[in-house]
Order: sequence, then structure tokens, then C-alpha cells
Amino acid sequence: MAATEHNSAEALSPPATRSMAASARRTRRREPASILDRAGGGNLLYLLPGLLIYAVFVFVPIVAALVVSLTDWNGLATPVFVGLRNYVELFADGRFYTALGNNAQFIIFYCAVPLIVGICLAAIISAVKQRERLVLRTLFFLPYIMPTAVLGIIFQWLYNPAFGPFNQFLKAVGLGKLALPWLGDFTFVLPAVGAVASWYFFGFCMVVFLTGMQRIDPSLFDAAKVDGAKAWQSFFYITLPSLLPEIRVVLLLTVIASIKSFDLIFTMTRGGPGNATLVPNIYMYQLGFQLNRFGYAAAVAIIGAILVFAVNAAIYLLMRPERKTA
Amino acid sequence: MAARSSALSGPALPFRVVLWIFGFITIVPFGLLLLTSIKSKPDLLKGAFVLPAYPHFENYLNAWVDGHFSTYFMNSVLVVVPVVLVSTVLGLLTGFAFAYLSFPLKRTIFILLTIGMMVPTEAFIIPLYYEMLYLNLINTYWVLVIVQIAMSVPFSTLFMASAMQQIPGEILEAAVLDGAQRPQVLRRVIVPLLLPAVSTLALFLFIWTWNEFLLPLILVNDDSLRTLPIGMLFFQGKYTINTPVLTAGAVIVIAPLVVVYLIFQRKFIEGLTAGATK
Repeated sequence: MAATEHNSAEALSPPATRSMAASARRTRRREPASILDRAGGGNLLYLLPGLLIYAVFVFVPIVAALVVSLTDWNGLATPVFVGLRNYVELFADGRFYTALGNNAQFIIFYCAVPLIVGICLAAIISAVKQRERLVLRTLFFLPYIMPTAVLGIIFQWLYNPAFGPFNQFLKAVGLGKLALPWLGDFTFVLPAVGAVASWYFFGFCMVVFLTGMQRIDPSLFDAAKVDGAKAWQSFFYITLPSLLPEIRVVLLLTVIASIKSFDLIFTMTRGGPGNATLVPNIYMYQLGFQLNRFGYAAAVAIIGAILVFAVNAAIYLLMRPERKTA
Repeated sequence: MAARSSALSGPALPFRVVLWIFGFITIVPFGLLLLTSIKSKPDLLKGAFVLPAYPHFENYLNAWVDGHFSTYFMNSVLVVVPVVLVSTVLGLLTGFAFAYLSFPLKRTIFILLTIGMMVPTEAFIIPLYYEMLYLNLINTYWVLVIVQIAMSVPFSTLFMASAMQQIPGEILEAAVLDGAQRPQVLRRVIVPLLLPAVSTLALFLFIWTWNEFLLPLILVNDDSLRTLPIGMLFFQGKYTINTPVLTAGAVIVIAPLVVVYLIFQRKFIEGLTAGATK
């Protein structure tokens, strides 16, 4: 996040002093403290306010969730320790597998579609004139700042079978046969909800890729052109490989967003119809706050957290940033 | 496609058409939302894309008064303002500690903070609910404010610390040699230098808090304490049929976001994508 500030802070120091600053930083790294460091407890005055509030209201609940997941608890009676029984039960739970399967399908809409659309749009937009590019960039990014819960409510109306604009449009252009009850249809509900996620993320992906493309040395494209490369060839052989760091980041953020998905699906379908859009977080909500099976629900939540960590690790290991080129 | 970036001409027309089609897809839901929010119910029956005879701004009044959006809006503001202020200050303090000071278990504490940034809220919402029940904080403003602040500590800290590490050491040395105490260095030297970073952080905190859904859904069930996204959800449950008022409510929720976004869009886009590409 600090990349923008990096530039502004560097700009503050005139070029002549920059090497001095660098050496000062190097010495600072050898000794742990800086010139502002003091011995004694004074340092803790800066650390503790934030740390304590974090510990009490975030970290303790995280640890407690681990503990609760090892118990049988209805929220009222004393929790009964049952060891790993919730997890054992979970791995034999058909609905949990349905939820995981749905989540896997959602990944197509949360990651693959926005990534491909975003990278193609970025390739086009990078050639558009500055002014038009800024307008389009502002436009494409707009959904990303919206509350997904409210977007879910808006799209539920847009998809409404009786008076929703989407079906009215289909009827108006002669595609009345396709005017389905989107969110009530077992086959189409998942793509219908997924399309909203794609709509939400593609602009963000586009902007990230656009930023990455500005880093590519334009002379590479000129050289390729001189060598007779077609536009699609320079896209696949220059643009795409250079964007690997951005692709990694976009994958990371969108895969995690899909595992965490709750707001959008909750407001659009509540996981229905049937289990057609059930995902682990919705299942966790149903188990905990509707069926009062808090221990079991916590186990679902912990598996979700483990998946997030696994994705982080997998993407980090599989797509290790290449230090040489960066 | 990209090869043309260095050429004088822009992309071929079909490509630009594709671009604007996607732009259109992005804006259409918002356009329909605005259009429907000024229709009457009879207007709505004439078709989703038909303009109303005259604008029915009373939908906004209905949402604001009968739909309790005035309360929800007020609650959102009452939660967002303290969260942004306190989280920014805490981020500066904790970030200062991580950037410049030594303290025991620094690495371990750093890792614990990172864990808090990665674990989804859903994973610990159940124990959090019971902790708040035990502390008698369920159904209060406090619970929304405190938990949101606590959840923003890891990001604010890392964001501020990495910004502070970019400040040239000799500036701080000069300040210390001039006899400034640490609080003064932080307030008079570091904060002014980091104003761009601080305001970016404040923007993020504003948008995250304004959009937060799960926390108020679980931790508050009194209608008079609901924030906008939750209020919207329950309003939808009650008035499913009254689409014009529902859409007017949605406009009330997103209008402040759009205004802030349009004013600060460079900061938003560059801040968010810089974080992504770091």
C-alpha cells in the first residue's frame, strides 16, 4: 500500500542526500532501534493502545473460535468439549461439500472472468487517449467502492422475474424465452449471482493491470513491431509476461474474496434456492445464528480461514515474484 | 493491441466499442437505480426504461422518514466518524512503534497482527458476539465503533509503519537535535510529511466502515441502531413491493460514496492499486 507514499517521501529528499539517507537506513537496520528509540517502558505507550484493542476484540475471538470449534455448544448451555468431532462430522457432511463445490464455481466468476476481461480491457485502454482513459478508468472502478450488500439488493431487483429491468430488456429485444426467474432457477442462480461478482471486480482488475502496463518499457513494443510482431503477439509475449506480478496479486485478492463471499450472496439468495448458492460462510451463518449449532458453525468458519491461508501460501509459492526482473 | 500504445493512432474502432460497451454495463445499474427512484408506482408498471411524467422526489422523503433512512444515515455517520478518527490516530501510534521503536516480541506481535488481517471476520464473529453479549455491549453504538476500530488496527499499523519507513532519517535526526520530544516529532514532523498517506488511510477506513455489513448484522438488532446497509436489508424485507422507495433508499446509501469517490478518485484508485501491486 505504501508505493504511492514511497515516491512522495523519496521526492522529499533532494538527490544529493539520497545516498546518505540510504546509508543511514542501512545502519539503522543493523541496530534495531532508530534515533527515536528510547530505553524503558516509554515505547509501550505508542504500541499498547492499538495492540490492546486489537487483542481484546479481534485476536481473543479468533483464538476463541478455534476453541469453540472443538466443542458442542448451543449458545446457552455450557460448551461440551468434543475434540475434533465437529471436523470429522464436517468431512462427512454433504451440505458442506455442496458449499465448497459452489464456492469453487464462484471462483470462476470472482477470479477468472474479471481477470480475463480486466486484462483485455487494460490492453485496449492503454492505447486510448489520456482524457478518455481517465474517464473510463473512473467509471470501471466505481462498482469496487460500493457496499456489496447493497449491490446484492439492487441486483435482486434488477433480476426480478415479474418486473425486473433485466427481463423486461430481454423481452423488449425479442429474447422473451430467456426471461427466466434468474434467482429462483436452480441451474442459473449461481451464474446470475456470479455475474454480479464479475461486474464488481473486472474494473478493479483492469485498473491494476493498467498500472502494471505503464511500467513496461515502450521500446519493447517498438522493437517487436520492427521485428514484424502482430499486436496479439506482443500482447502474449510482452504484455502478459510483464504483468505476472499483477496477475498474482489479482488472483490472490479475488480468490480470497470468493472464499470470504457472504454479503452479496446473503442479500441476493440467502444461499438458495435449495442449496444452489450455498457457500461455507452462508452455511456457517445458518448453522450458528439459525440452528444454534455454534461449535459446528465455528468449525466451518475455521476451515474457511484455513482455506484463505492455504490460498495465500499456494499463490505465493506457485507464482513467486521474480526478483531479477522486478 | 498493446503494441499500439506506442503508435500515434489509438486502438481500432471495434476495440473502442468493446471498451464503451463495458463502460455502459458498469453504469446501467446505477442509471436504472436513479431513474426508478424518481418514478411513481404506476410509472413503474409502464416499463423499467420509460421516463416518468414528472420526477417523484417524494420517494426520497418516504425513504428518509417512513423508511427510517434518516436514522440509518445518522447511525452510519455516528459510527464512521469516530472509527476514522480513532483508527487513524491508533495507526499513527502503533505504526510509529513498529517503524522506529524497539520492544519485546516485535516479530511475534507483527505476525499476530498479520493473522488478524488475513482471518475473515466470519471466522470469529460467533465468539465475538458472545464476548460482546458478556460485556453488555450488544445493541449499542459502542460495539460497532470499537470492533471496527479493532479490526482496522492491523492494516492501519502496517500502512503507517511502511509510510514512516520512507521518511529520510536525517529529517528525524534534525528534529531530535533541535530538542524535539517524541510526541512533537510525531505531530510536527511525521504527520505533516505523511499527510498524503494519512488521508489515503482515512479514505479507506471511511469506505470500509460505511460498507460494513456483517458486524452490524450480527451485533445490533435494534432498528434504531442500524447502519445504512443493514437498514436497507430490513427495509427491503418490509417493503419488497415498493421499488421506487427501495431504490431511493439505495441512492441514499451510495450517494455519499459516489461523491467522496469522485472528489478523491485519483487517491482512491492509486492508493488501492498501489497497495495491490506493491
